Amino acid sequence: MKPVVHIVDDDESYRTATARLLSAHGLRVEAHESGDQFLARLSACEPGCVLLDLRMPGQSGLQIQNRLCELAPLMPVVFLTGEGDIKASVEAMKAGARDFLEKSSTAAALMEAIDRALIQYERQKAEHDRLQAQRALVAGLSPREVEVFGLLIRGRLNKQIAHALGVSERTVKVHRHQVMEKLGVRSLAEAVLIAASIGLIDQDTASPVG
Amino acid sequence: MGLGEWSGRLCCTAFLLAVAVLGASSRHAAASDASIAIVGRVPRVLVLYPYDERIAATTAAGEALRSRLLEATNGKIDLFSEFLDLSRFPEGEHVARMARYLGEKYAARRPDVVVAFGRESASFIVANHGTIAPGAKIVAAGFGTATAEKIALPDDVIGAFSTFNILKTAEMARGLQPHARHLYIVGGSSDFDRSWLTTTRADLKQFSKSFDTTTYLEDLTIDEFVERASRVPPDSIIIALTVFKDKTGRNFVPRDAIRQISATASAPVYGPYQTYIDHGVVGGNTVTFDALGRTVGDLVIDAIAGKPVSDLEAPQTYIADVRQLRRWGLAEEDLPPGTVPMYREKSLWEEHWVILVAASGLLLAQASIISVLLLERRRRRVAERSARLHLLEAVHLNQSATAGALSSSIAHELNQPLSAIRNNAEAASVLLRSANPDHELIQQILLDIQEDDQRAGDIISRMRGLLKKRSEIDWQEFDLNDVTSSAIHIIHGEAERRGITLTSTQPPGELPVRADKVHVQQVILNLATNAMDAMLNAVPAGRTLTFATGLANEKAELRVSDTGDGIPEERLIRIFEPFYTTKQAGTGLGLSIARAILETYGGTICAGNRPEGGAVFCVALPLAHREEQSR
Repeated sequence: MKPVVHIVDDDESYRTATARLLSAHGLRVEAHESGDQFLARLSACEPGCVLLDLRMPGQSGLQIQNRLCELAPLMPVVFLTGEGDIKASVEAMKAGARDFLEKSSTAAALMEAIDRALIQYERQKAEHDRLQAQRALVAGLSPREVEVFGLLIRGRLNKQIAHALGVSERTVKVHRHQVMEKLGVRSLAEAVLIAASIGLIDQDTASPVG
Repeated sequence: MGLGEWSGRLCCTAFLLAVAVLGASSRHAAASDASIAIVGRVPRVLVLYPYDERIAATTAAGEALRSRLLEATNGKIDLFSEFLDLSRFPEGEHVARMARYLGEKYAARRPDVVVAFGRESASFIVANHGTIAPGAKIVAAGFGTATAEKIALPDDVIGAFSTFNILKTAEMARGLQPHARHLYIVGGSSDFDRSWLTTTRADLKQFSKSFDTTTYLEDLTIDEFVERASRVPPDSIIIALTVFKDKTGRNFVPRDAIRQISATASAPVYGPYQTYIDHGVVGGNTVTFDALGRTVGDLVIDAIAGKPVSDLEAPQTYIADVRQLRRWGLAEEDLPPGTVPMYREKSLWEEHWVILVAASGLLLAQASIISVLLLERRRRRVAERSARLHLLEAVHLNQSATAGALSSSIAHELNQPLSAIRNNAEAASVLLRSANPDHELIQQILLDIQEDDQRAGDIISRMRGLLKKRSEIDWQEFDLNDVTSSAIHIIHGEAERRGITLTSTQPPGELPVRADKVHVQQVILNLATNAMDAMLNAVPAGRTLTFATGLANEKAELRVSDTGDGIPEERLIRIFEPFYTTKQAGTGLGLSIARAILETYGGTICAGNRPEGGAVFCVALPLAHREEQSR
């Protein structure tokens, strides 16, 4: 299913018009009168990107963005404002806003920004899904297998692992085989990549942690 | 010392008089002796006037003669005047009676010189020389040499002749009216009038040929004269001679008759006499009676002194009435050279200079007081006007500043409908390109576009009102509630941005006031932005800006309250002074301008602190219709 564009704007007229524009371009749209209302509904909302008005009664756009980072980090935020405001835009970008548009921008610019946000969403979603799958694989390991995996990716030899765990080298071999099997990898290098992407080892130095 | 001298002189005069009486009786015998011998007494001069004293020509000449003689003899001369009234009493009996009477009257004081003004006087004295003034020198004046010949003036009569050259008068008229086509000549029915007419016929024979018509208005009654003159063609010249008598025999002082004629004449009237001037005549060639009088005076003095005297011509001059030139639209530069202009404005000065000096002194004093007062008033007006202009300037500057401060929220507000319009239009165009357009939706989109366009228009007109610059106050009657609402509209975006809650309360009825709407809105915006600035440091949750309108003391009132820190007591008294500010970026003009604006419309402003915290500004304006409001 296609992702949804969430429009959060207190101005009904603008909200409706923009929803119509995006719908006409074949996008799925959900409109929200205020940031508070959006946050309240967030759990029930379909994921996608957010068009967020900077100035609204109640919580401001920036405050909503901060909450979204915690609650729905995958949803890219495109800020909308009536008039450019350097201070607000810098804050917004620092907080991870995907784009910062003036309301007076052309429909094309708006569409472009939304397309970019949606592509980013798709990409992040895919990455997120991949990581989730890898985490699920790792989570499927038994405690002993996790211990073996942890030492393996740090480059320990079988006999070093056996020594560290106080088991026979033979047992280590069995666990090692199980781990490779469960993670669906053929080589040690692949296992290391998974460990790195889910944060079990420091990717920058690639040196064993701990 | 003066007294002694005077008494001595009196004795001397009495003696001289006695000698004179003796001498006169002795000379009576030698009546034919033409030379006069005045010994040891003041000379006597008898002036004979032919008509009565109202005839200005002769009296003017007589006056000039009189003053000339008094001046030349230093007052040592006896002057006698007799008015013969011969035009009204031409009968022989009257003349004889007059001669007898004068003979007896002057028996004891025979005149040394007799001056006869006019032809009739000359004839009279020539005929009655022996009876009235035997041995006296006779000076005849006031007529031309032609007349002198006609009445056969004896050789021993000296003539101060004045030739009234009617042709010169006619030529003067011609010069002023080169395009005139008709010539009219007015003359009366007395002997003198008729002789004038005869002379004129001869003198103007050649001259009249250059006109289409030449008409002699004679043998008419005064009413006929007036009537005829009033309907001559406009391109006419009217020459008035004399009217001593009209057809019915009614007697006139000629200038009065001429005045009646020229008052309603439809063309300019000219005449050969100085005295006609100021009686509606444009002018003419004349011997001025002044000149004649002085000429006669010189002759008399020479005669008294025993000098040989002979006939003289009194000088002729052209005279013109400047007012009449103006009346007929005649050009002064067309007058013959040397024309004496009469009744120029300066003549008033010459005649009445003492009164004029006194009056103008008074006037000057009055005028200077008045001009000082006027200047004062003018200065005050100018000052008031420039103060008002300065106020308007300051108001405008302040408006611009307020508009600047609110511009980002106004732009924000304006961008909403404009962006909505843009997106709606784009959506509609995308929908129309689709295979199966949703017409109902497109219809709704178009309606929404119209609505947003209206919304944008409203914002712009509010903004324009805020920025309007004017050099004049635009007085209008409006509801204070409306202006307050409109101001709330303008600032609501800014308030929202700052997390300020706006609340307002209004009375059920209207609060009509009379002022410049934009100015009052300006005051409200000033107070509102001040209040918002005052709440910068307040707890965000509690930031509230309240507008409350209502009636107080028969006035429309607006209270603007905030939940800021309030105004320190020591600042309350100075807060409306210009350039007093507590803000870093403030000009310190907002509140002083607000006060100036309100005072312009008879209103007031005051500031205070609320017991629950925060400041309150209270604006009051007079109600436009107090009586309606009180119902």
